[in-house]
Amino acid sequence: MIETPKVDWLALSPVLALLGASGIALLAAVLVPPWMRKTVSAVSVFAGFVVAAVFAGIVFDDTPQPEILLSESMARDQLGALAQLILAITGAAVVFAAWSERRRRHDAEYYSLLAAAGAGMMFFVQAENLMTLFLGLEWFSLCLYILVAIDTERATSLEAGLKYVIVGGFGSAVLLFGSALVFGATGELGFAQIAAAEAGDDAFLVTGLAMILAGLAFKVSAAPFHMWTPDVYQGAPTSVTAFMSAATKTAALVVTIRVLVTAFPDESQIWTIAVAVIACVSLAWGNLAALAQRDVKRILAFSSVSHAGFMLIAVAAASERGTEALLYYLVPYSAMSVGAFAVVAARERELDKPVTLEGLAGLGWERPFYGVALWIFMLGMAGFPLTGGFFGKLFVFSAAYEVGDWWLVLAGVAATALSLAYYLNIVRWLYMRSGAELRLAPAGGSPPRELALGVAVTAAIVVTVGSFFAAQPILDLASDAASSLPF
Amino acid sequence: MSGPGVGWYLIVAAGLFGIGSLGVMLRRSPLIVLLSLEIMLNGANLALIAFARQVGSLDGQIFALAVMAVAAAEVAIGLGLIVAMARRDMALDVDQASALRG
Repeated sequence: MIETPKVDWLALSPVLALLGASGIALLAAVLVPPWMRKTVSAVSVFAGFVVAAVFAGIVFDDTPQPEILLSESMARDQLGALAQLILAITGAAVVFAAWSERRRRHDAEYYSLLAAAGAGMMFFVQAENLMTLFLGLEWFSLCLYILVAIDTERATSLEAGLKYVIVGGFGSAVLLFGSALVFGATGELGFAQIAAAEAGDDAFLVTGLAMILAGLAFKVSAAPFHMWTPDVYQGAPTSVTAFMSAATKTAALVVTIRVLVTAFPDESQIWTIAVAVIACVSLAWGNLAALAQRDVKRILAFSSVSHAGFMLIAVAAASERGTEALLYYLVPYSAMSVGAFAVVAARERELDKPVTLEGLAGLGWERPFYGVALWIFMLGMAGFPLTGGFFGKLFVFSAAYEVGDWWLVLAGVAATALSLAYYLNIVRWLYMRSGAELRLAPAGGSPPRELALGVAVTAAIVVTVGSFFAAQPILDLASDAASSLPF
Repeated sequence: MSGPGVGWYLIVAAGLFGIGSLGVMLRRSPLIVLLSLEIMLNGANLALIAFARQVGSLDGQIFALAVMAVAAAEVAIGLGLIVAMARRDMALDVDQASALRG
């Protein structure tokens, strides 16, 4: 008998479930006859996301105290489990939203990579040392690079993929160099050990911290590290855009707060200021740039930059309340962005060209369901009551106010006011202009009924509105999760 | 036998990282840009290995090995994209990749 390391399979189970699903989908790409390839891979990946959600729920329920596993490389705690739950539900909704996408080839590969990216994000949010952090980041990034470029017959998809590989690779290299500097300053890779090493105001440590923060900001797509966001969001297949805007942001923000709070508690003076500045720049840049756009996917891309700003306000609070607010915000935000991009995808197929504001004209009258859905998502993103977006912003502002960051609250309120201009502009285009007036004809007759997409949009509406009425239960879950960080 | 101090290794590492990032920002051919990304990652690897020798822990070296595998995967994807672009007769020039703008 040799001594074997103890492996906590339950903590790994969400990741393993998705990896299994990804493997089945990939095998389906070669073994299953073409006519049922898409069905087999989509069903297996959907099942993978559902199983991952169930296991994440079990882990959440079963882990009152955070534990550090596998030679201090990953954490089993409620923060990670809640993030995994959000990621799994997002992924499942994206499987539905992607079903009606017409793709000449690579259907099974698409689903396989979606599951692999989801698995990578779930691994990433559990990271507890700098090596698992980097590997998790690259794991899902590599999958997303291919997903963005998967429509190889479309030049814009390839262009977006190349831009994402270059800028994403640059971001990870910056993060890696930062990790190396922190390792040099402390001699440790584990988050808790870095915090315990007490390197003081070491120049290496501070530079490393700044570079790690910048590397994560690339993934969060916070300004000024967002330059890839509009191009990649516009060029990628729309379901991939939906997945990226919701899931990548969830994973990267949860890891940002985890690494900052567990590894760099002594430097909180420095990083709270840095995060606050990034938040303000994101709010200003995202909202102002969104005003100037005509393409709806680009508008939503800049809106996601500004949402990154709102969520970074919660990170900058560096408190348990802030973490709760961040986790709550992620729930309606993920639903709204998946839903909004799903509606855009439906319109895109109908018109057979990229959706500009003009392309939305009359959608509210022609397709009442999509019109109402997009209307709800836009009001939710603007933070109107009766949607979870309202409480999201409220909790973020109150967390910032509680720690005395009143200037961040002011910036947030000003940004919200500014954002009304383009969110309401989209609603105006939905209802106030008729398609006939613009001589805009649908691509060819009435579009096929997209039942799967309708399911995804309905689920997104339920979560967006439901998170307003069920704010307290969600907040309770978030506060359990937040208590697993050492504040 | 004692070699140069960790500071020297770090200077080389930072130099590689700087050269790589300049390459990413200034060069126009996507192939050279991918090459520059590799140089950045290898600069970070050198720093990791130098620090690992300094503090006498193997963690940094294992990290560097993992990074090499990841870097190879990243380049494989980048090259795949470039091949796909070349097949479609797209210009292999980062400055001309500007169909997406708003």
